[in-house]
Amino acid sequence: MKLLVFILNNEEYLEEVLEAYVEAGVTGATILDSEGMGRFLAYEVPLFADFKDFMKGNRPYNKTILSVIRKEEIIETLKTLLDDKVGDLSGPGTGIMFTLPVDWVSGLVPEDEEV
Amino acid sequence: MGGLCTRLLPECVLLDPLQQDKERVIRQLVDRLASSHSITDPDTLFEQVMEREKLGSTCLGFGCAVPHARTDSAGTTVIAAARLNPPVSMDAPDGEPVSLVFLMAGPEKSAALHLRLLSKLARLLHSDSLRAQLCEASTAEDFHQIICSRDD
Repeated sequence: MKLLVFILNNEEYLEEVLEAYVEAGVTGATILDSEGMGRFLAYEVPLFADFKDFMKGNRPYNKTILSVIRKEEIIETLKTLLDDKVGDLSGPGTGIMFTLPVDWVSGLVPEDEEV
Repeated sequence: MGGLCTRLLPECVLLDPLQQDKERVIRQLVDRLASSHSITDPDTLFEQVMEREKLGSTCLGFGCAVPHARTDSAGTTVIAAARLNPPVSMDAPDGEPVSLVFLMAGPEKSAALHLRLLSKLARLLHSDSLRAQLCEASTAEDFHQIICSRDD
């Protein structure tokens, strides 16, 4: 069992990304509004106010999608679907995706009752 | 990471210059940088630092300020420092006068390094003990050495 974390920089893709989650078999996720470190520093910390130009091209806000994945093969399927929708994540400003092992969980709805 | 110690030369440290205000302090620090490093156009650097000040305060609180600019006048990122006694008003958000000023200038292309050094200076200056040591330094060399001792 894994915790899948996807920081999606281009929020316009959120709907398509979630469609890919469902298609791949992810039965639930939590979506958080988040923001990049560069935006916060340049706009909220006066010492760094002159670095607004340095973060040009970066997206100030993003979405962080958290989901607990029971079957690890879902992750590969999802990655393939996402590559097709949002592009290769190695491109700057697209997003970051990673997994962490989950060794205990409580509160997950059984799969056949989700969606 | 290091980097502060080698970019702040003892000859670029001013201890307790008399009759100061914000502009005079910055002007003197720019002139020190110009005399010790290859700053091609100190007048422009001074204007750029003052222009940057209009964007928002570079005061960190605790009586510290880090005015800075990225400029093509600088071939590499360099630092000058002043200790002010009595402290000088620099329009700090906390309203406190400033007793420690670090002026940083670096080339436009070195934005990432500039950010790292600014962040490191900000972290170091949050230390009560470091500020106390700097305020008690008896010579520019001592002041420089104190910075070097924390520049890991």
